[in-house]
Amino acid sequence: MFGLIWENFRISLSSIFANKSRSILSVLGIVIGVLSVTLMGTMISGLDATFEKSMASFRSNVLFISRMDWFGGDFDWWELRNRPRIKQEYGEKLRIRSQFVEAVAPTSDRGGSIIRKDKQIDTRFFGTTPEYLATNDNTEIASGRFFTEGENRSGTRVVIIGAGIAEALFENENPLGQHVKLGNHKFRVIGVTGEMGTFMGLFSLDNQAIIPLGTFQRLFARRGWMSIRVKLNTSNIDEAKEEIRGHMRVIRGLKPTEEDNFAMPHSSTFESQYQAIKLAIGGTGIFITALSLIVGGIGIMNIMFVSVKERTREIGVRKALGATQRAILSQFLMEAIMICFLGGLLGLGIAFGFSKVINQFFPSVMPYGLAMVAIFLSIIIGIVSGLIPSSRAARLDPIEALRYE
Amino acid sequence: MGPSGSGKSTLMNMIGCLDTPTNGTYEFEGELVHEMDDNQLASIRNRKIGFVFQTFNLLPKATALRNVEVPLIYANISRMERLELAKESLTAVGLGDRMHHKPSELSGGQRQRVAIARALVNSPSIILADEPTGNLDSKSGVEIMKIFDELHDKGNTIILVTHEEYIADHADRTIHLFDGKVKEDVRKGKRAEPEAIF
Repeated sequence: MFGLIWENFRISLSSIFANKSRSILSVLGIVIGVLSVTLMGTMISGLDATFEKSMASFRSNVLFISRMDWFGGDFDWWELRNRPRIKQEYGEKLRIRSQFVEAVAPTSDRGGSIIRKDKQIDTRFFGTTPEYLATNDNTEIASGRFFTEGENRSGTRVVIIGAGIAEALFENENPLGQHVKLGNHKFRVIGVTGEMGTFMGLFSLDNQAIIPLGTFQRLFARRGWMSIRVKLNTSNIDEAKEEIRGHMRVIRGLKPTEEDNFAMPHSSTFESQYQAIKLAIGGTGIFITALSLIVGGIGIMNIMFVSVKERTREIGVRKALGATQRAILSQFLMEAIMICFLGGLLGLGIAFGFSKVINQFFPSVMPYGLAMVAIFLSIIIGIVSGLIPSSRAARLDPIEALRYE
Repeated sequence: MGPSGSGKSTLMNMIGCLDTPTNGTYEFEGELVHEMDDNQLASIRNRKIGFVFQTFNLLPKATALRNVEVPLIYANISRMERLELAKESLTAVGLGDRMHHKPSELSGGQRQRVAIARALVNSPSIILADEPTGNLDSKSGVEIMKIFDELHDKGNTIILVTHEEYIADHADRTIHLFDGKVKEDVRKGKRAEPEAIF
């Protein structure tokens, strides 16, 4: 039995390599299928890793009170537009009422450029209160200091810049005590925040500037959009969220029948959004994979029919020499499996090369489990698409097969 | 012997267990061939019959040795034994020095000798040769017939289909077919015993 399997293995390899270009063409679908499934897996693993890294600095027990959620869903735009503003005083009210509040910091932000002499950098800057640092575990003052309550109240023009801005505007100089312009207003740099990296490789957290909220309101927007960062003293986000929602409804004076006219986004919102994105990528990948594997299977079936036809005489000879139906069936099945297996390996090899390239842009690894699944899948395709041509070969009448020209 | 359409090939296919009769019985060494299914036929072909075809029908990409091995593979014989038997068989037909040549590297006569070695390798009860010299020049034909004679002298049963009278002359017994019927049955050789296969 093993002799026969080995023989069939040899036959299949020599047949595949005797028709190299034909084999490669017919196996293209499998190659693309395996390529897409492994690349998709690589992509997702890379996204996961990046997301985890980004979320590690983002995920926290900080709740936001804002007018809108971070991700628009099926909201009614008019309802959103007519929602009342978030007021600074909500923070203080929540601090008094809620048992879960550890620190609150209202923030109000806008885009703009920071200018120093002939250098300019586009960025976002926001006004907040000195308590901001207490609500954000990830922002640290690398040098200098944060502003004080006095500076906030008096609207002093001081700014804490991100490491990225410091790098861009001051290079090797010490930015502390120097002056920069935000819009048309001159600010004194009193602190630099430590490096925080980028979020999902999209925007740099080091390119933001922080100014006192009092100053922000005086110079830029008295009644601008605001959201309130609420640092919770518990890790039970859901419970705290419900409690604070209740307080917010009271503060807003909502009747029980009315819906919330505020939003409470949390980093978990981001996570669920990310899961949806991942699902979409995975779904698309699986769709492409399935499609190309089906096409690939048809290609294999076609080439196997050709192979059987071409070797009709050989089949006749083998049968005359004592090959049973099963022996012939396994010979051609082996060929179909081998061609798919080699195609799968080829796809995997290409995917491996690609994953190295992708890795240059964002860290990713090729998931080996998925690679195994891909190879397994191509073997299954080989069996499925090889079965009909092989059984046709097995059932050939030896006399007619021997006579076939 | 017989003209085209006389039933030679059908008879050969029947004896060679490639086909089963629609009518009547075929008993081969006590086994009822006419009742066999495809797998049993394959097995009896493998064990009891050696085929030699007019067009050689060797596997073009395999060496002489591997060609001769094929029946042994289907007989589930171990690799070492297979190699030994195949080498022995090739040596017997005088191709001991051509074992690793592919059919395309061999002459017609040599190819047919490989085919004979392949037919012999599993020590069959009958060797069936369907116009084995039909595609050969007369010199190679003579060589091949010499091998058949030698095999015959060693006690092998050979059934040979031919058009040629001078080929038929090698046989101990000649059966002439015409329109599917036995027209003439001539025994002349020293080994033509009455209880031969018919």
